Amino acid sequence: MSNDEYEPVGENQPYVESQVIMTTVRVIAPFAFTYGLYLTFHGGSSPGGGFQGGAIIGATILMIAFAFGIEPTREWLSNRAVVGLASGGVLAFALIGLIPIAIGGRFLEHELYESALEIYHGKKYALEAVEIVGIMPIVAGVVVGLFFVIAAGFSGGSRLAGDGGRDRGDNR
Amino acid sequence: MIPAIGVVLFAFVLATAVLTAIFRDVLAAIIVFAAYSLGMAIFYAVLLAPDVAMTEAAIGAGVTTLLLLLTIAKTVHPPTDVTFERPNPTGLLVVGAFTLVVLATVPAFPEVGSESAPIWSNPEVTQYYIESAYEDTGVENAVTAVLAGYRGFDTFGEAVVVFAAGIASLLVLRTEVFTGE
Repeated sequence: MSNDEYEPVGENQPYVESQVIMTTVRVIAPFAFTYGLYLTFHGGSSPGGGFQGGAIIGATILMIAFAFGIEPTREWLSNRAVVGLASGGVLAFALIGLIPIAIGGRFLEHELYESALEIYHGKKYALEAVEIVGIMPIVAGVVVGLFFVIAAGFSGGSRLAGDGGRDRGDNR
Repeated sequence: MIPAIGVVLFAFVLATAVLTAIFRDVLAAIIVFAAYSLGMAIFYAVLLAPDVAMTEAAIGAGVTTLLLLLTIAKTVHPPTDVTFERPNPTGLLVVGAFTLVVLATVPAFPEVGSESAPIWSNPEVTQYYIESAYEDTGVENAVTAVLAGYRGFDTFGEAVVVFAAGIASLLVLRTEVFTGE
């Protein structure tokens, strides 16, 4: 902020790998990820659930991207996988709801998994499946997808399609 | 009787909220906004709403802050010497009037734990969920039982809304990087 001109921060201050941040994230990320999974899988018996777990799992990916660079993380986790995660979650949720209709019940009638399909603890597993394969991937996928798309061009990968890279001096 | 932690948290949340509004520097505003979200998360935990507290901590303090930081990193912002924004009289008036209107509703709230609270004045509804959630849905957390069991259809709608909003944002903000696989 020393210049008199408006200063394009992203250009003049390129990302510098910080030893402190990288070390911290390397230690914390596995625990945060495990905590997110725990909240998702244990949401039926303790506070938490798919939404909270998915948000924390998504935030873990964001944390890794901030520490080790956004572009490498984007390459490691392809865009197709991120969008597929969110779409797959909606489809899985719908499928869990539609199976009871197929066997003559109502939408999301978890009771039928136990009484008609004779799955042991079926209604519990159906409800937890909604959290685990339905809500969690949707939330995690949307969080990570939004982050990647807002970060696009941040480290000089490409410029915004719409406004012709106003924030970039060299306009490559 | 309000416990001491409530008073401290309230002061912290109020201070960070006001600072978010008056800081001139966008980066400083984003940082105190993250602190505000963290204070709210602790507040929810103190008020025995751990599910909400986790969401606030992850989404409010974590994801929102990162998205805002990325946004200011990609835009220009004017250099400034002043720390605080000069309050705008009209804005101050509107905010003050709005605060008064909101505060006017406070006396209508039942006291925490009061028996006249709506949740206790319909005991058959509350009691039903507490007593039969485990039997009906097979899970012990009544919050999850209501969200994914009794109101599974609502939750499906919400999940689809989150998905649709996310996909719509991706399409609007679409860049060469994101589409070129």
